[in-house]
Amino acid sequence: MIEGVNEIISTKLNPNVLPHLHIWEWHIPLYLFLGGIAGGLLLITSVMIVMRRHFGIGPKDEGDGCPCGAVRIGSILSPALLGVGMLFLFLDLAHKLYVWAFYTTIQPTSPMSAGSWILIAFFPLAVLQAMVVNRKYLDKLNIDLLNKLIKWTDDHLLKVALLNAHIGVGIGIYTGMLLSFFSARPLWSSSILGMLFLISGISSAAALMLLLAPKDEKHIYSRIDANAIWVELVIVGLFILGGVTGTANSHGAMMHLINGDELMAGMPYMYWFWGVFVVTGLLIPLLVEFLENAGFHLHLPPIAPILVLVGGLVLRFLIVFAGQTYHTFM
Amino acid sequence: MSEKKKNYGMIIDTRVCVGCSACVYACKAENGVPEGYCRDWVVQETNGEFPKLAMENRSERCQHCDNAPCVTYCPTGASHYDENGTVQINRSICTGCKACMAACPYDARYVHPEGFVDKCSLCKHRIEKGLKTACVSLCPTESLHLVDFDTMTAEDKAMLSGKDVYRQKEHAGTEPSLYWISARNKPGA
Repeated sequence: MIEGVNEIISTKLNPNVLPHLHIWEWHIPLYLFLGGIAGGLLLITSVMIVMRRHFGIGPKDEGDGCPCGAVRIGSILSPALLGVGMLFLFLDLAHKLYVWAFYTTIQPTSPMSAGSWILIAFFPLAVLQAMVVNRKYLDKLNIDLLNKLIKWTDDHLLKVALLNAHIGVGIGIYTGMLLSFFSARPLWSSSILGMLFLISGISSAAALMLLLAPKDEKHIYSRIDANAIWVELVIVGLFILGGVTGTANSHGAMMHLINGDELMAGMPYMYWFWGVFVVTGLLIPLLVEFLENAGFHLHLPPIAPILVLVGGLVLRFLIVFAGQTYHTFM
Repeated sequence: MSEKKKNYGMIIDTRVCVGCSACVYACKAENGVPEGYCRDWVVQETNGEFPKLAMENRSERCQHCDNAPCVTYCPTGASHYDENGTVQINRSICTGCKACMAACPYDARYVHPEGFVDKCSLCKHRIEKGLKTACVSLCPTESLHLVDFDTMTAEDKAMLSGKDVYRQKEHAGTEPSLYWISARNKPGA
């Protein structure tokens, strides 16, 4: 017998029970954004290391095997940002004390299970690589174990960097695939979402490195970023076309995103998507970086990379929220 | 997936459902569902053009799918098939990651205030003892029927043979174990 119950709503219209709007809130978009940047940073820094070590090109060597500041800081930021992202992932868990359950099993059909293991696999090599490129600071500590680890990694740096480049791509794609496997959510159920989040992660990582890079090397990251934005624009176009020309489910979900009047932080999705993500986060930075690379020095503050980062963040929030506020597969 | 000993599901005759919500409160009482939450609910759907309208009251819950996306996506194995042909949640390994909620096309799950994800268990503890579910045993109009699809009675078969029997979102490929007898074409509708 239930005593003292006084419920106004006993049907599914109860917001506690209808999960449309509150499965994943702000933690998950932030995690996807940081995970994307971490993957992009690992990819770019690894490629830079391979270029310098194997081909003798790319960013200049600052001595002691340490490449330029952007690669050094980027190498540290990659695992650090992923760690922060995983903290948000943890905060989103409703049953936090049971987080260990991810690591007592491998569920082959669950992308999240694969992801939880990939996230762990990310750290060892990424941290070793970050240690090698920052060895001139670590050598001063003169810790035997550290020195041995650095020496081992340095001896195998080409292999480690190549492997890391692949892990970076894997993490970037995973952040999108995590959503795209949910066929019950029509907006997310697009196989191109993995590529979209990967290229957006690479673009955001390049933008971050552009901010960190010394003046004479900014052009390297500016070009990477501009090219990534080009590709991202194409993939955004394909993502939209795939939705608009798809089934009633996909079409409705895509229109909910690109033409939707549902509000996010007080502004309709449509304005966020076209105004903030596409125009401010992709087209304007592309134009600025194109002009800079073509020799027109605009003498602007680093507006382009900041806009790219804002666009990448908004993309994650939009996709995660719009995917949930549209009804499930009908 | 464990070997199936039973293949439980439900046949819900919406033609006789009056939407009284007895099933909702029977479930809440039986399963200690916290205030403000429910594992089953009643949907009232009206179709047609005035004055020719048809109303269908539906007592809905987890569909205990044979190909359940929640089980597929659960990263820890907390959501699983049991030997009675139902889908269950092992609370002791549920992280509350909510992947199952995102995966379910029926929106059948919610986060329990204690953190784990909860849903209809088809009264596992009762059916293991040979009892009916709480909702079925309390339904005053006998709209709800617990059925073992492997050992159906003649009455069960007769209910399923009608032309107005359907399953929800069958095209999602989930193989739901809940069958509905539609009220849209009932006499007078």
